[in-house]
Amino acid sequence: MVRVKEYFGNVWKTLATTWGGMRITGKYFLQKPITVQYPDERLPIPDRYRGIHYLEQEKCINCLACARACPIDCIEMEAIRHGKELEWVSFTLDYQKCMFCELCVYPCPKDCIHMGTEFALVTYDRSELNHDLLSFRGMSREARIRMKEAEEKKKAKEAAKAAKEAAEAADSKDEKGEG
Amino acid sequence: MSILAITLSAGSLLSGAAATELQGPVMGTPGAGGNFLTRLLEWLGPPQAVPTWAIALTSVLLGVAILVTMVSLIAMWSVWMERKVSGHMQCRFGPMYAGGWHGWAQTIADGVKLLLKEDLIPKGADRALFWIAPAIVLAGIFGALAALPLSYDWYFARMDLGVFTILALGSTTTIGVVMAGWASNSKWSLYGAMREAAQVIAYEIPLGISLLCPLMTLGTFSLIDASREQATLFGWDCGLGWAVFTNPFNIAAFVIFWIAALAETKRAPFDLPEAESELVAGFMTEYSGIRWSFFFMEEYAAMFLMSVVGAVFFFGGFETPLTALMRASGSDGTLLYSLVCFGTLVLKGFAGVFLMMWLRWTLPRVRIDQVMTMGYKYLTPLALLCVLLTATWEFARHLVMG
Amino acid sequence: MTDVQQHTPSIHLSGEEPRVLPNGEREFFFDVSTSDLEVNMGPQHPATHGVMRVLLRTDGELVTGAQPHLGYLHRCAEKIGENVEWLQYLPYTDRYDYLAAMNNNLGYSLAVESLMPDLEIPRRATLLRTICAELNRIASHLIAYGTYGLDIGAFTPFFYAFREREWIQALFEKICGARLTYSFIRIGGVFNDAPPGWLKEVAAFCDVFEEKWREYYDLLVTNHIFVMRTKDIGVISAEMAYDFGLTGPMLRGSGVDFDLRRDLPYMAYKEIWDAGAFRIPVGRGAQGTLGDCWDRFDVRVQEMMESIKIIRYCLEVIEEGEVIGDVPKVIKVPAGESYVGIENPRGELGHYVHSDGGKVAVRCRVRAPSFVNLAVLEDLMPGTLLADSVAIIGSTDIVVGETDR
Repeated sequence: MVRVKEYFGNVWKTLATTWGGMRITGKYFLQKPITVQYPDERLPIPDRYRGIHYLEQEKCINCLACARACPIDCIEMEAIRHGKELEWVSFTLDYQKCMFCELCVYPCPKDCIHMGTEFALVTYDRSELNHDLLSFRGMSREARIRMKEAEEKKKAKEAAKAAKEAAEAADSKDEKGEG
Repeated sequence: MSILAITLSAGSLLSGAAATELQGPVMGTPGAGGNFLTRLLEWLGPPQAVPTWAIALTSVLLGVAILVTMVSLIAMWSVWMERKVSGHMQCRFGPMYAGGWHGWAQTIADGVKLLLKEDLIPKGADRALFWIAPAIVLAGIFGALAALPLSYDWYFARMDLGVFTILALGSTTTIGVVMAGWASNSKWSLYGAMREAAQVIAYEIPLGISLLCPLMTLGTFSLIDASREQATLFGWDCGLGWAVFTNPFNIAAFVIFWIAALAETKRAPFDLPEAESELVAGFMTEYSGIRWSFFFMEEYAAMFLMSVVGAVFFFGGFETPLTALMRASGSDGTLLYSLVCFGTLVLKGFAGVFLMMWLRWTLPRVRIDQVMTMGYKYLTPLALLCVLLTATWEFARHLVMG
Repeated sequence: MTDVQQHTPSIHLSGEEPRVLPNGEREFFFDVSTSDLEVNMGPQHPATHGVMRVLLRTDGELVTGAQPHLGYLHRCAEKIGENVEWLQYLPYTDRYDYLAAMNNNLGYSLAVESLMPDLEIPRRATLLRTICAELNRIASHLIAYGTYGLDIGAFTPFFYAFREREWIQALFEKICGARLTYSFIRIGGVFNDAPPGWLKEVAAFCDVFEEKWREYYDLLVTNHIFVMRTKDIGVISAEMAYDFGLTGPMLRGSGVDFDLRRDLPYMAYKEIWDAGAFRIPVGRGAQGTLGDCWDRFDVRVQEMMESIKIIRYCLEVIEEGEVIGDVPKVIKVPAGESYVGIENPRGELGHYVHSDGGKVAVRCRVRAPSFVNLAVLEDLMPGTLLADSVAIIGSTDIVVGETDR
């Protein structure tokens, strides 16, 4: 009797659980899908999304903190220092290596490197993945103006200093001459 | 070349069917309406003027053309339907772009892609067998479809043993599958082929036995007669005298038939020959391009075929209240009536295909020993029990109703 | 792969004398010998969940021997740990068990923190860590649920599981910006405080998940075909589990009630356990032998619900505050060595770190649960059918990135 019970129990269980599963799939068949048609509609990207970096170059002081924090050394930067102003040569981020860990963002003292919401890194050539984050090369206009002003100030200062020295020298000469 | 092979094999099957049809009047079988191919030829000219062999040849060629179109259309529609059904069951859309409206042209695009793909034959493969296997698979299903009436007066051959022809020809696809598995020279393919052979042999039995129940209820093997039998419910011509309504044991028989049909057509939960998580792709592992699509077409055509057989013997075939109404209003025998019958059959067939898809996207796969257990220990005895009970019921019904 | 033909049965007459039957006919004896078929399951196989190779020896459908081969995903993670600074190693921890990156971050951070006695972790950070780790445990178990369904042949549960996992990933994306490799839990706390409203969204997720979880249960776990496929298959007794050093659901599936969250509590788990917020699901042998595939699977599915309870508790007690302790920008860890094991979704994830007081670790060793759990395959698989071997591999729920590191 136990075997008979088990036999028909199996038949019943198979049919019942199959029907139970079919009810669930059937329920979702009649519901609206939850996916979106990607290129046409997109899900919102949150603010903290870790996508392709962007650099606020004005603020950057070429301190190499981000490059040092990077676990795979994919950030490289080069700038020539003219006093306080920077003449930018390059600031590259190699996306072949980058693993979007955001460790470069936290140590920045000027809070100038960020991760954006762009994520498409499709190229025809690998070398194109070595992104240059610079928006301008050399010096920015403001920096140039600031530098010019600083130079003029310096010149003026030097001129003043020279004039002063000359005056002092003349004074001492005069004193000598008089003496 | 494969196409040629299919044409030849299907043609030989069809010519047999057509020959039966041509000899029909001679043999004394009343052909009600007759083969629609011969009728088409009659329309072209008086039959006396055309030699018999020409009629046979033309009807065979025409029949093959119709069958190829039919199989392609069924496969195209079913693949698209499968993708949409599975998509919606899984909370997604399925194809949405090709062709515009809900990706209706996706299968056409896929078909073109498959046609253009490189025709690969693996290095160690048995070339001849590898080459012929998909053709044999398709030929079997062509033959089975040739025995299927499309409407009450649209058929290639009026077969008195139609259901047996369909089951016999439908199961020849196994030969092709085993051939493909062996010829591929891949171990996964071999596993798939062995599983297919074991499974199909096991499930032929309950499939046949469970079909005996409605056959007893309806008293005929012919698909057209079977559907005509189901027009009357207790003497009332309402188009609802379906076998499942007139005899409760036919419901159980239908469940058994359906499970066996799933196993016959290699559909989940019995897709062991393919078993993509176990055998990579089973017997189709080494196939690509159009050859691969032949197996696919066979699968969907077989699904449709089994659904139609189920619909004809359990769910009334061409009969619905609509056809009963048309008969009552005297439009019996018109082209419209034929069309309605055809539409009813196609709808019922695809309803069955949908049920198969629903099951596929719900259930996990069974194991090979469980397939055997289920076939031999569960379905076969239960089918026999069904036959016994149906016979008793029919006997009692005849006693009571006379 | 070797050629199929060379393994086909060879039939020839045996040397024995033919027997003469009573009717005068002679009966010959044949030597019918078949050799086992060796077949590579993997490295590219749908059931190996990545690039693992199992060398199967089969006799027809019967598996007579199995030998897992690994190392296809080896990326020198431990060696990298000895060459980069303490904090810089954090992103690498994401990548060994990529399905439970939060837990990996947590394990590493806890190990390093254990060497820094002066460091105090703020309470909000601890609770945020707990919430994230448990959410990630759910996400990881959802994958286990979905892919096990795939292994057994059911497609649809996979998509349902991914639907909820997607939600968890969206939550993580909001708090840390990444969807898979989070690098969120750091030495000293967490990187960011939760954005406004995030905790409410987590609570909403918990509510919905409870409903969906019922469906998971009905759709797959109790399905008769599924039960028949997984019960009495790959039975691991408690003793065998001890011998192999199994941990996590693999161990609990064998009926051993051991969970590091309770037995060696770290972070706030002691408080949560004492508050009675969660229990530890253990295999009961409800559908067959204790310790079979079904038990292991069931433990995972039940654990998702327990994680929800832990998250609920944390959401109740969490309050405003700092999220990171007093950590310098370049961390120098006092000299010493320490081993900290945490309960990963797959078992005990241990980090052994050794510092000489500098900026870089001397040794950074990982005890990966998948790697240890994988060892049991070789003993479980012989004597099963081919389909069962797939079920067994699936039930160990390995992540190949972690076995190979």
